[in-house]
Amino acid sequence: MHSVETVPAHLEQTSAQVLIASRLAKRFGDRVAVDDVSFAVAAGETYGLLGPNGAGKTTTIRLICGLLRADAGQILIAGQPISTTATPAKKSIGYVPQEIALYPDLTARENLRFFGRLYGLHGKALNHRVGKVLDLIGLSERGRDRVESFSGGMKRRLNIGAGLLHEPTLLVLDEPTVGVDPQSRHAVMESVRSFGAAGMAVLYTTHYMEEAERLCDRVGIIDHGRLVAEGTRRELVAQLGEHDHIQLTATGDLAALADRCRGLEGIDRADVKDGQIQLLATEGRRLLPAVLEAAERIGTTVRSVEVAEPDLEAVFLHLTGTALRE
Amino acid sequence: MNTALVIAAKDLRHRLRDRSAIVLGFIAPVLVAALMSFAFSSVEAFHADIAFVDNDHGQIAVALRTALTSRELSDVLSIESVGSEQQAGKLVDDGDVGAGLVIPAGFSAAAVGDEPVGLTVLGSPDNPLEAQVAKAVADAYVAQLNADRLSVHTALAAGVPAGRTAELAKAVAGLRLPESVEARATGYRQLTTASYYAPAMGIMFVLFAIGFTAHSFFAEQRGGTLERISAAPIGRGGVLLGKSLAAFVYSVASLTSLAVVSSLAFDAQWGPPLPAAALILAMSAALVALTALVIAVSRTERQADGIAMMITFALLLLGGNFVLISQAPDLLRKLALLTPNGWALRGFTDLATGAAATAALAPALVILGMAALVGLLAGVIGRWRAAS
Ligand SMILES: Nc1ncnc2c1ncn2[C@@H]1O[C@H](COP(=O)(O)OP(=O)(O)O)[C@@H](O)[C@H]1O
Ligand SMILES: [Mg+2]
Repeated sequence: MHSVETVPAHLEQTSAQVLIASRLAKRFGDRVAVDDVSFAVAAGETYGLLGPNGAGKTTTIRLICGLLRADAGQILIAGQPISTTATPAKKSIGYVPQEIALYPDLTARENLRFFGRLYGLHGKALNHRVGKVLDLIGLSERGRDRVESFSGGMKRRLNIGAGLLHEPTLLVLDEPTVGVDPQSRHAVMESVRSFGAAGMAVLYTTHYMEEAERLCDRVGIIDHGRLVAEGTRRELVAQLGEHDHIQLTATGDLAALADRCRGLEGIDRADVKDGQIQLLATEGRRLLPAVLEAAERIGTTVRSVEVAEPDLEAVFLHLTGTALRE
Repeated sequence: MNTALVIAAKDLRHRLRDRSAIVLGFIAPVLVAALMSFAFSSVEAFHADIAFVDNDHGQIAVALRTALTSRELSDVLSIESVGSEQQAGKLVDDGDVGAGLVIPAGFSAAAVGDEPVGLTVLGSPDNPLEAQVAKAVADAYVAQLNADRLSVHTALAAGVPAGRTAELAKAVAGLRLPESVEARATGYRQLTTASYYAPAMGIMFVLFAIGFTAHSFFAEQRGGTLERISAAPIGRGGVLLGKSLAAFVYSVASLTSLAVVSSLAFDAQWGPPLPAAALILAMSAALVALTALVIAVSRTERQADGIAMMITFALLLLGGNFVLISQAPDLLRKLALLTPNGWALRGFTDLATGAAATAALAPALVILGMAALVGLLAGVIGRWRAAS
């Protein structure tokens, strides 16, 4: 695990990094939204910021895109410092906001042309890019239709497309799959994967653990404005050691059972949530008989047991003591 | 600058997609201006033909006839001299004239005599209004004559030499018509209601655009497109300039189209093109500044709607867009000059009544000054709120 207290060593190798954020801080009144956050994203890398709602993902992104003034810290994109007034440097960024930021009463093409023009595209180049992007997001047939007539998934894809027109070196996507049906979600994730493959640096925020696991080369786990861990999936899971993640669905006195489990050797954590007990255990499979026996003694009925290899959910649970999704 | 144009073009395109913006900007002003000028035009279009019978042949009768046929009254009255009361009566009954006015024999002499004088009015139930006007003219004149007669009489009683009564009578004959008859036709050229209500309604509708523009600004902020624009490599100045430009162009287009349509369709006078354009441009600049102020002091669409509504109606009421300001009390006329629209209307009124083109210069400059002041205020408030 990288320390977030000091600037991580790899952040200093600026040449390969498209984005370097170091020691960012932002508060709104008394509320600390971003607290000493540092990370870097290299070209061709997809970096995920994973954290629950209110963790500070959007605020971090708005700092990085020069939309908010940071209280402290520094941001370099393609070697250029970013701030709210660093106008030319913003050209390297493609920003896809969390909400669907499009004009519903303009057509898809008109929306794209407008945002393309803001990045200095015009004439043939603009037409070419608009056509390319419409192709890429699978909306070529609907370019002349007004956005208000689109389905949620189509709007989402167009929302992403509007950030791609000027072929940014850094693409920033803030929870691009929120409110999207599974099929569109799959399409969105496939295209994000292709951006990374094409050499773009991608910064992707999500509160879906599966998305971060599937999509991102590296993941930063953010909670209460702090980056609590960072690394590849493998690195993060390795932090848990030889841990298994056991999920018990049971009826009865779950709190008592959790208490009992905590007393068992090899169990590191036991938390009750939504009629389930989440256990983190070393060599969980071997402990199962002891757990079931304890349940029987207390008089709780165990309905199902699931033993999983640790995943980012478990890492998050381990680091913060809360589940990712409430 | 380039991106400002891009944003302005988008805003305008957006606005033209919005049917209500087209109605408010281009159709409603023409309709309402037409409606207002037709509703109030009955007074202006009134014209009475009056048969005039002079059985007196004296000085005072001639003076009355001269007064009635004066240029000031020619819009309202046409006088036709007829030989006898019977003839006049026949003309009235046939409807060839609206009313008849008979000056009895001995009228001039009576004017300086002891007895009160009177005129005869011939009317027909078919043209009650014209008979009324003829009677009003007669009454007013006679009332003044009687007053003068009284004063001549008093003068005589007080010891003016009898030989000077002729002189006095002559002075009486030179007396002007009472003001009440004259009032309707002041000015070099009469201000038609169309010439007043066309710019008045045009300005009213562009002032409504303040709320519209401010609302759409906050809608863009809430929808996230404004943030998306801010993420692009353009300065804050470019965004503001672009949005202002769109509001400005919309206002200029709205007022100009109204000027053209109302001039052609119902003969509204906007004066010569150059000074009228100066007023339109200045007023549009004021509109942009007012919009900026509303945006600077509001936080949400709802607040913007409310504040814009308040400012717009205060300006419209004070500025005299709902009343013919030239007929309003003095205080109202003074208050109107606290508003840019009041100044614009004053400029347009002057131009419509044939004043020199330079008459628009002062109003245009005052409006621009107000726009600068309001714009500055908006800037200061905006900056202060952004910092806090
Ligand atoms: N403009 C703002 N004013 C005040 N508080 C804010 C503002 N934006 C975000 N916050 C607060 O900062 C914290 C982080 O929010 P955000 O960055 O939106 O989280 P996330 O995107 O991870 O859900 C939250 O507690 C949120 O309420
Ligand atoms: Mg967010």
